[in-house]
Amino acid sequence: MIAQSLDIVTTAAILYAVATGLLLVFGVMKIINFAHGGLMTLGGYAALVTTQAGLNPWLAIPIAALFGGVAGMAIERFVVRPLYSRPLDAILATWGLSIIIGQLITLAFGRGVQFTQSPLNGTLDLFGESYSAYRLALVGIAAVLGLALTALLQGTRLGLETRAVIMNEDLARGLGINSGLVRFLTFTLGSALAGVAGALITPLSSVDPSMGVPWLVNAFMLVLVSGASLLSLLFACVVLGGAQVLVATHFSPVLGGLTIAVLAAIILRVRPKGFARD
Amino acid sequence: MTEARRLSLILAVALAALAAIFAGPYVLDTYSVNVLTRSLLYAAVALTVDLLWGFLGVLTFGQSVFFACGAYAAGLVFTHMDFSPSNALLALGLGVGGALLVAAIVGWLAFWHGASALYASVITLVLPIVATQLLYSGGTFTGSSSGLSGFMSFDLSMEAWFWLSGSFLVAVTTLAYIFVKSDAGRLLVAVRENEQRCKYLGLDTSRLKILVFLACAAIGAIAGYIYAGYAMVVAPELAGFVFGTELVIWTALGGRGTLLGPVFGALIVDYESAQLAGDYPFVWQLIIGTLFVLVIVAFPRGLLPVVFDAPRKLLGLLRPRAATPAASVTLSTLDPADTQGVEPGEGPALAVADVVKRFGSLTVLEGIDFEARAGELVSLVGPNGAGKTTLMRCIADGAERSAGSIMVNGYDIGRKPPEACVALGVGRKFQMANVFETLTVAQCLQIARVRHARPSLWRRAADLKLPEAAMHVLATTGLDRQLSTPAHLLSHGMKQALELSMVLALEPRVLLLDEPTAGLTKTERMQIGAILIELARKQGLCVLLVEHDLDFVREISSRVIVLHQGRIVLDGSVEDVVASELVKQVYAGSGHAGIAHETAPSAPKEMPA
Repeated sequence: MIAQSLDIVTTAAILYAVATGLLLVFGVMKIINFAHGGLMTLGGYAALVTTQAGLNPWLAIPIAALFGGVAGMAIERFVVRPLYSRPLDAILATWGLSIIIGQLITLAFGRGVQFTQSPLNGTLDLFGESYSAYRLALVGIAAVLGLALTALLQGTRLGLETRAVIMNEDLARGLGINSGLVRFLTFTLGSALAGVAGALITPLSSVDPSMGVPWLVNAFMLVLVSGASLLSLLFACVVLGGAQVLVATHFSPVLGGLTIAVLAAIILRVRPKGFARD
Repeated sequence: MTEARRLSLILAVALAALAAIFAGPYVLDTYSVNVLTRSLLYAAVALTVDLLWGFLGVLTFGQSVFFACGAYAAGLVFTHMDFSPSNALLALGLGVGGALLVAAIVGWLAFWHGASALYASVITLVLPIVATQLLYSGGTFTGSSSGLSGFMSFDLSMEAWFWLSGSFLVAVTTLAYIFVKSDAGRLLVAVRENEQRCKYLGLDTSRLKILVFLACAAIGAIAGYIYAGYAMVVAPELAGFVFGTELVIWTALGGRGTLLGPVFGALIVDYESAQLAGDYPFVWQLIIGTLFVLVIVAFPRGLLPVVFDAPRKLLGLLRPRAATPAASVTLSTLDPADTQGVEPGEGPALAVADVVKRFGSLTVLEGIDFEARAGELVSLVGPNGAGKTTLMRCIADGAERSAGSIMVNGYDIGRKPPEACVALGVGRKFQMANVFETLTVAQCLQIARVRHARPSLWRRAADLKLPEAAMHVLATTGLDRQLSTPAHLLSHGMKQALELSMVLALEPRVLLLDEPTAGLTKTERMQIGAILIELARKQGLCVLLVEHDLDFVREISSRVIVLHQGRIVLDGSVEDVVASELVKQVYAGSGHAGIAHETAPSAPKEMPA
């Protein structure tokens, strides 16, 4: 029971960390960034390079953010910017970028599965249950990410301008907000977060050139049911992530893998706004 | 070009393509024949992606699943039940039937009223993921991750499989080409361009999408069935997301909305993949990925139009093209005996009873109660935010209002969607001219007539019969001389007139007009005014008009309803309204002291309609 609750909490935390970057981009730009999976892969390989170079595994997180952010800048400038008026095409173009990133990584690192060093090993005793220390640490990291983003959006001028662009871009532009710059910074930040997410999940699984793709679809569905709110994303992660854990343990892991996508599709059918408030 | 010549030209090209397919095995090496057999089948599936995405505007990632349906039906039946001619038929039936069933479920989920284009794409994205996982978890029945192989199949030579696949591709391409160029096929483009206008022209767009989706599923399943028969191996990857996106990539590269582009895109890329993937697998994928991004960003129409336009442009430099072609459609007035508008029912043409509309806690309309008879021209006036447009919306779409009832021609509109309200006799003209921008004037009018004159699935009609009222608008404004002009080239006033004649082509009994004269010149306004008076008096239409220009209202209305803060504050003749102190107060803005508090003690804050 306790192990299962911990599973749910940590799964929700991982999903939250993976989906925030996508949510940010979707909220501000109304664009689904299908390169998110590719950028996660990039972050995963940044972590691999970091640990192979013998650096502290924790350093993988900022390095992955750097890799993701720089790639994001280039993507926004050359690919996403011309497609603001064609959101469905933006999905396709960013999916193409995902393919490009995957193939470049394959050319550089080969196709094989590789493993990174985890920054935290062993287990922690919690409520009489010994549980993976790293998974527990992820809960803290996801919380820090969520709080930092909330603080950024609620407490800074850039955040205010970003929220203005989310609500009404034309009006924001009329008030002198450089919405192009807001979009650029948002996409960069979203991509950096994708990189971080890639680095965070590598100690849990392995690194391979298509590691980001399975996460992409779940993150995408979570973002769609959450609208543009970090709070409803948290709710969606707990509910749908929890459902995934329950289905996987009580029925079958295969069905568990489908839970988020199928439930999200049904939720959106019944309530197009998903978990977002009006 | 006459209709017969156009169709025979298409058939001649199809025959030439069949001849090329027949010659294929004699000029190609065995390896190429083998690879191309698969590519020909993939091309047929890419064609369905183009029909859905390029023409209908539904971006689909899930067509791979229908291919896999056909393939697995063959694989499963031949593995578990042995191969026999009757089992082969059974497998085909199961494959197509299964695909249709899946497509019906997906269509029901993805194309319900009010579903966004993104949601439909999301559903088609979830579909292959679900399908592959189910195949993986099928154990020995589906062969799990290694799929099924080693089953018996038709005893055909490699050449015969090539001919079968090629003929199948040519057949579906030809049929699809004839369909999209026909009057019925044009509806697909109309839905992509402006689904809302289609619904308000009485077209059930959800049904249309589901029908096209079902047809595409069947084509995909047959292609998959042939594939399994020839390859004698089926694997879960056939149903996968990666194959689904590859189909989209081929379609985008070839040119969406061109049919031939995606076919050649699939043939070339898949064939080259097989040639190059052995030596440079990752570089090849990288090139395709880069090309794909480049095409999406820089050449959204794909490469086929680029290839075709280059020589045409060069020719154009040498030989200036003839002026715009003569109108291909001739107009005529529909015999009044043939009009099919709804019979006027019992009682008033429009009866609105106690209608309320709320947005959350905000009440925008409250206690709206009035009746209007046939032949009346009722103007709705009131300041911005009074709820005029909202009231129009409530009459034209049964799902809009929060409470109350609306009867049109004696029939309750209930919770019916816009297209069903049109069937009851409602015609709505929007505030902003709302037409099909890329279609010509004649084509826009044809689509407005689809509800009454069922369009052909393979021919283009040469004449268009319009009801007298629509003809009258066209003649008065001179639109009848611009039938082959694309709508986006029309002036604002002409677009308004076009939309008005499209709505009149529906033969409505109740005509809802939202500021039909906004942005028009004085002359145009006079013309429209005269037309409206005639529609009401001679044709006996019930016209409900939202208007800000009180002089215009005074000239043409037979009755005026004044709305203020979501309530009717006055309902009377033009004279009553002109003489009313109340109306002056409302328009002078001092109404808040005089009326609002009197009629609506807890007057809610206004919301722009």
